[in-house]
Amino acid sequence: MDKILIVAKREYLERVRSRWFIVITLAVPALMATVFAVMILIAARSSASTNVRHIRILDASATSLGDRISQNLMADSAAANDPIKPVVQQVNVADLPGLQERATADVAAKGSTLVGYLVLTDSTLRGQTFYYAGRNASSVADIERLRTAVRQSVSIVRLQREGLTDSVVSAFNNMPLKMRSERITDAGRGGSGQAGMIAGMVVGVLLFMSIIIHGQNVLRGVLEEKSSRVAEVVISSIKPESLLAGKVLGVGAVGLTQQAAWIAISAYLSQFILPVIMKNVGPVGSAATAASASAAGSPVAGALGSMTLPVIGVAFVFFLVGFTFYAALYAAAGSMVNSEQEAQQAAVPVMLLIMSAWLMVNPVMINPNSKLAVVMSWLPWSSPIIMPMRMGLTSVPPMHVAGSILVAIVGCVGAVWLSARIYRVGMLMYGKKPTFAEVAKWIRYA
Amino acid sequence: MSDFAIDIRNVVKRYEEHVAVRDLSLQVPRGSVYGLLGPNGAGKTTTIRMILDIILPDSGTISLFGQPNTAAGVLNRVGYLPEERGLYKKMQVRRVLAFLAELKGVAPKEASRRIDEWLERFSLTGEKNWGDAKVDELSRGMQQKVQFIAALLHDPDLVILDEPFSGLDPINAQALKDAVVDLKRRNKTVIFSTHIMDNAERMCDSVCIIARGEKVLDGTVAGVKQSAGARNIALAVASGTHNGITPVLRDTQLVQKVDDNNNYFELELAPNADAQLLLRRLMETGANIERFELMQPSLHQIFLQRVGATGVEAGMSGHG
Repeated sequence: MDKILIVAKREYLERVRSRWFIVITLAVPALMATVFAVMILIAARSSASTNVRHIRILDASATSLGDRISQNLMADSAAANDPIKPVVQQVNVADLPGLQERATADVAAKGSTLVGYLVLTDSTLRGQTFYYAGRNASSVADIERLRTAVRQSVSIVRLQREGLTDSVVSAFNNMPLKMRSERITDAGRGGSGQAGMIAGMVVGVLLFMSIIIHGQNVLRGVLEEKSSRVAEVVISSIKPESLLAGKVLGVGAVGLTQQAAWIAISAYLSQFILPVIMKNVGPVGSAATAASASAAGSPVAGALGSMTLPVIGVAFVFFLVGFTFYAALYAAAGSMVNSEQEAQQAAVPVMLLIMSAWLMVNPVMINPNSKLAVVMSWLPWSSPIIMPMRMGLTSVPPMHVAGSILVAIVGCVGAVWLSARIYRVGMLMYGKKPTFAEVAKWIRYA
Repeated sequence: MSDFAIDIRNVVKRYEEHVAVRDLSLQVPRGSVYGLLGPNGAGKTTTIRMILDIILPDSGTISLFGQPNTAAGVLNRVGYLPEERGLYKKMQVRRVLAFLAELKGVAPKEASRRIDEWLERFSLTGEKNWGDAKVDELSRGMQQKVQFIAALLHDPDLVILDEPFSGLDPINAQALKDAVVDLKRRNKTVIFSTHIMDNAERMCDSVCIIARGEKVLDGTVAGVKQSAGARNIALAVASGTHNGITPVLRDTQLVQKVDDNNNYFELELAPNADAQLLLRRLMETGANIERFELMQPSLHQIFLQRVGATGVEAGMSGHG
């Protein structure tokens, strides 16, 4: 045990002292913050795409519907600096085919600023159909924006027809309805849905990134010991299994240190970034603001803060188990080969395993209670990423969490056992890369 | 308390394609310098790795100082210099040494003190203190020294050196010999493998020759030579006077084998031949004989004779 700690100490100190560790520890939160900010800005922009103003409205409804829609589309505050207005033409139904033909040609013309055209008829006024053709017809945001504008405008025109005065109508129309949402779990009400989602996402991403980065570190460390031949001296003092254990422990501690640093740094950085986001987008949603207000203005820390303590505890346990699982497999891969290139190949099966978990992150976010999500939260190679996410997104029975941890631990023990056997033989085996059949033999012999 | 530093009994190690070590038994007395000799691929490194519990024998037992080599702490008394040298390249020399010493149970403070001592002794301090440099900033020779320090830092009672002379320049080779003599003086046991017989003959108290994974012979150097018999003759003839000796040397009644070096000959007497008769016959040819010495065969010759050209099994290119 002493010797395991000596190995772990060396691994930890040598890595934490390295320039790369310091650079990555500082750069990743900065990068993430930038990406986060840019994404929010883009989201803010794209939801109010000014494309919807570059359209022609062919209004055959014989009302002011076309003008209403034009006003509605111009009401976007975020795009106030674009002066272009939709062009509204009051037309006869009989002329529509010809006008549509011309509008199509105008949109298709080279260098044209016209993006599309909207056709309004009696049917539109009855709340039944309208038609839009344009270059942006596949943009979900634009189409939604148009649909909303038309829907709202039709309501207004119809209310006016029923005899309501303009002032009453605009009073009805002007209600900045804000929605507050809360999640219900077995333990009662708690946390907002969005905060839970952010928390789940953060935990998933952190675990995934740590496992990849530090798993690769274990692989490289093993390879270095093998190719520099220092392994033989070390193994003459300590059992290979203990060397493996010390290495995984040391690198795991580096991972935890890095995560702690990341959380601290991003909490600090978000003080400066949040105001920028707020200014550009306004309140994104009550969840984000409430969470950030409660936790020193940090979306990450806020999200973590909104998680209950058990979730953090469980995420921590899953990190330990998941990291050990993958680190052991990476170590086995590293011990089989002799060069960096071969190592990348040998790591492919491990990578596939972890990617199979990562690919599930989105589906799980959308429906955390689907059969797939439930299965993935039980499998030992994906549960460390999926289960903490699900806990953030929905309420998982404690027995299921405990069971999944148990399965993960069993899987972990199996992976360590398997890897130790491969490692024991592989570390002293030089020459050509072994085939799968040979590795299978090592496992049986060792 | 056992008198043997190493006691190997009936050890067998098989690999897929061949048997690396075949029923090997050998005893290394405490306080001796012991040579493990054999051609490449004879099973030397496999044997050493089994002594160090790096690989497990298929059968047989290995004891160190009377305890099984798997007993807790017993390997802390062993120092090891592997044939394939290697250290953590990106690590400071001091830190590598401290790490390896701590793995052998030396307390960090004590390790630090000893590192200073050893760096000084191997003149790695001088103008620049190489202890603070990274390993890959050191020359090859210096790295060899550091590796050697690593094997001795924990003051082991048994030092195992696998092909210690390979890749050493004459100065470092001499330093290594001095260190081995010093260890012997301090009553430590040293075992080293080599295929350079001259070194073994000069340094070892006892030797074991192995080939094809089997022991060919073992014992004290004196004993081994004794049992090989004093049937060899060193003959030196002044140049220009040995025209007549060739027929004498070709007489198979007298001489079994000749190693002809022009002015110097190493002869092996034929069975039952009389050395005095050979000397008389040589003098009768009128040769000016400068040296005629009845001597024991060198380890080199014993090795060649016992292991022969077939000692290296075809296709066995692995480590000794």
